[in-house]
Amino acid sequence: MSLFLYIDRPTLLHRLNPIVKVLGMLCFFVAAFVTQAPLAALPVAAGVCGLITVARAWPNVRRLRVLFIMVFVMTFVIWTLFFRGGDPFLAWGPLRLSTAALRFALGMAIKLDTFLGVGIVFLSTTKIEEFAYALTCVGMPYKLGFTMTLAFRLVPVFLDAAGTVVQAQRCRGFNFDEGNLWQRMRRYVPVIVPVFMGALRRADGMAMALEARGFQAQGPRTAYEQYRFDGTDALVLLMAISVAVLYVVLWYMGQTSVPTA
Amino acid sequence: MKDSAASEAIRLDRLSFTYTDQTDRALHDISFSVAPGEMIAIMGATGAGKSTLAKCLNRTIPAFQSGRLTGEIHILGQRLTNEGVADMAGIVGLVSQDFEAQLFATNVVQEVVFGMEQLGVAPGEMRRRLPRALQAVGLHGFERRDPASLSGGEKQRLAIAATLALQPRILVFDEPTTDLDPLGKLEVFDVLAAMRREGYTLIVIEHEIAAAEQADRLIVMSHGQIVCNDAPARIFAQVDFLQEHGVRPPDISRLAARLHLVPVPASLDAAETAIRASKKIPLGPPFSKGEAGPSQSTRNVTTNNLPPPLLEAESISFAYDTGTQVLSNVSLRIDAGEFIAVIGQNGSGKTTLAKHLNGLLHPTSGHVRLSGTDLSELPMNTVAADIGYVFQDPDHQIFAATVADEVGFGPRNFRLAADELADRVRRALQAVGLSGLEDADPFLLSKGHRQRLAVASLLAMRPRLLILDEPTTGLDFPEQQRMMDLLARLHAQGVAILIITHSPWIVAEYAQRGVLMSGGRILFDGPLRALFADEALLRQAHFQAPDVTRLGRHFGFTPLSVEEFVGVFGC
Repeated sequence: MSLFLYIDRPTLLHRLNPIVKVLGMLCFFVAAFVTQAPLAALPVAAGVCGLITVARAWPNVRRLRVLFIMVFVMTFVIWTLFFRGGDPFLAWGPLRLSTAALRFALGMAIKLDTFLGVGIVFLSTTKIEEFAYALTCVGMPYKLGFTMTLAFRLVPVFLDAAGTVVQAQRCRGFNFDEGNLWQRMRRYVPVIVPVFMGALRRADGMAMALEARGFQAQGPRTAYEQYRFDGTDALVLLMAISVAVLYVVLWYMGQTSVPTA
Repeated sequence: MKDSAASEAIRLDRLSFTYTDQTDRALHDISFSVAPGEMIAIMGATGAGKSTLAKCLNRTIPAFQSGRLTGEIHILGQRLTNEGVADMAGIVGLVSQDFEAQLFATNVVQEVVFGMEQLGVAPGEMRRRLPRALQAVGLHGFERRDPASLSGGEKQRLAIAATLALQPRILVFDEPTTDLDPLGKLEVFDVLAAMRREGYTLIVIEHEIAAAEQADRLIVMSHGQIVCNDAPARIFAQVDFLQEHGVRPPDISRLAARLHLVPVPASLDAAETAIRASKKIPLGPPFSKGEAGPSQSTRNVTTNNLPPPLLEAESISFAYDTGTQVLSNVSLRIDAGEFIAVIGQNGSGKTTLAKHLNGLLHPTSGHVRLSGTDLSELPMNTVAADIGYVFQDPDHQIFAATVADEVGFGPRNFRLAADELADRVRRALQAVGLSGLEDADPFLLSKGHRQRLAVASLLAMRPRLLILDEPTTGLDFPEQQRMMDLLARLHAQGVAILIITHSPWIVAEYAQRGVLMSGGRILFDGPLRALFADEALLRQAHFQAPDVTRLGRHFGFTPLSVEEFVGVFGC
């Protein structure tokens, strides 16, 4: 069972230049970020749904559906209760419900799920090697960029190890659900120590293996994948930037927020 | 490094190394040379210095492990002075046991080109080398696969391809097959044989006799020194010498010594000829095919007088959320005091089945019952008091500051009185031979000690059934024997034992009952001798019986050990 999101598919988005993928992701983040009202947030969300379809990344959305639903529901409930402003149509003790609050909460919920969706499009279409390449293109030293993306790669490995350790300790009569919060946290020591020690050993072994394959070599590096910047890249980038610019302008004109008057 | 026409690929001159914080030398005056195209096997017990030697050859020592390095290493006629590990990448390739730690890319292609990119190989040249490297290890057609989705043997072959792409003249393999199942081992051995034909200089550290027999020369190491450097056949003939240095002697050598066959036959067929020529006549087959030996349980006999089973799995099936079916309609009955070996390829469902036997996993259909009660109705720590489960890697459980605390962790979860707890810890440590190490730091113990500590920590819970997943993987021969003798003693005291293992001699010499799994089903469940008599069935599961068993078949019976074979010939 892999927690890695990359799906190897021959789609238009997969073939894009890694830098376009990173910049495109940023553009959609900006567009989603400046929205507040549901009507303003919906077009971005719809656009991202379109991107997920093009990237054929719906299986990943399905895998993370619980996360999507939880984020949506929690955001909606919390903002409905805590939004101050607008005329309440219902007031019960400290609780006040207003149309503005409902609209704001709905907008926020759509917005956060849109963030998740943008992230999924990026992670479903971008190999870590491409991500490392994009990071070096924007000026990050290669070794730093590579090490960062390697960390991504190792998250599932460590989660997997943690799962095994939990099982091993349960075999020794270990029960997680006992005691108060402090006691429970202390109870995690038998899990944290083996996972941590394993991570150290793993990092050590990997460092040796990396160098044995020439990592840290003195001479200039080459790249197997030659990422070109072609017409499609330019077009996609232009569209993404247009979306971001359009939304920033609308936001500046106050067209994306929920009126509270 | 241009002098590739050197007459020696490797020359070591009085190489010594002492790890920082240690007083004993890990390598002590090692001197030998290797001609280009030669294949050298290195064997020896854990701590003999084999891995240290391998790491010196590609400069991992002293780059990653500090210590005092003296003496000279000449590679292709050039003396190593202060090269870094990366400088050696295109000259000496090192493939280690831990294939998981050697893979870090998103797909097979990226994995293979990674090293070439680091060394600045031109893209056109990369495109030429890539298919050749994949072809050499039989992974063409796997280009777009995620390395994490490959089997163990495929992962190790991918690590080899990634090294080959750098075109090193010398390849060093540090126990490349230790963590692999029988099929994976065969795959890697085939790659080694092909590379040998290609003219690579090969240094192979192995516990498997099959690999070492192919070598031009075999070096046996002990306590940091070379104790023998000769033709493999000559060394393998010396049973006592091998045993003294922690190497398991081949069955045929042990047989030859007992039956006084001179010279030691080089193959099973030669052994058969020699035995027939010696006019030794079997005293009549004592156990015919399918017959249960004297110590075999009579569980296949249907009677109503059988005591109720200790544990019973009743047509269980298991599938992951993704829909992958791992177990299909498996039934298994375990009686008190049995010794069962579960064998089969990785991915055949052995571990999944074992995890159902103590309730770590619950079947999607079917039932597992412990003394009549369904496991799904029992809390985990109730089950844990009766059924001990030792994971394959002891490092997945060890966390405590002292050995005594580690062993006491399980019983403490049951809130025993202090003196009862202390007594259990003492007895468990005694049983595994770790008495006196109560206050030692578990993380500083050897792998063999850690493995036995893991067993002790479950023994302290006084289980009636002990399940062990590959308890001898990664241990040298003396430690494997110690572990198995420990299990045999526990078994004699009445504890039922179930082991998952890939090791033929361990199955043959210790288990009474064999369970063969394939594709999530049980292909065979019965007395071990009957299993080992069925050559076709074993071959189907890529499992090879020990040499002595296969030789016995030539004479029409199925011996499970050298002693049994010799017994038949009345010597």
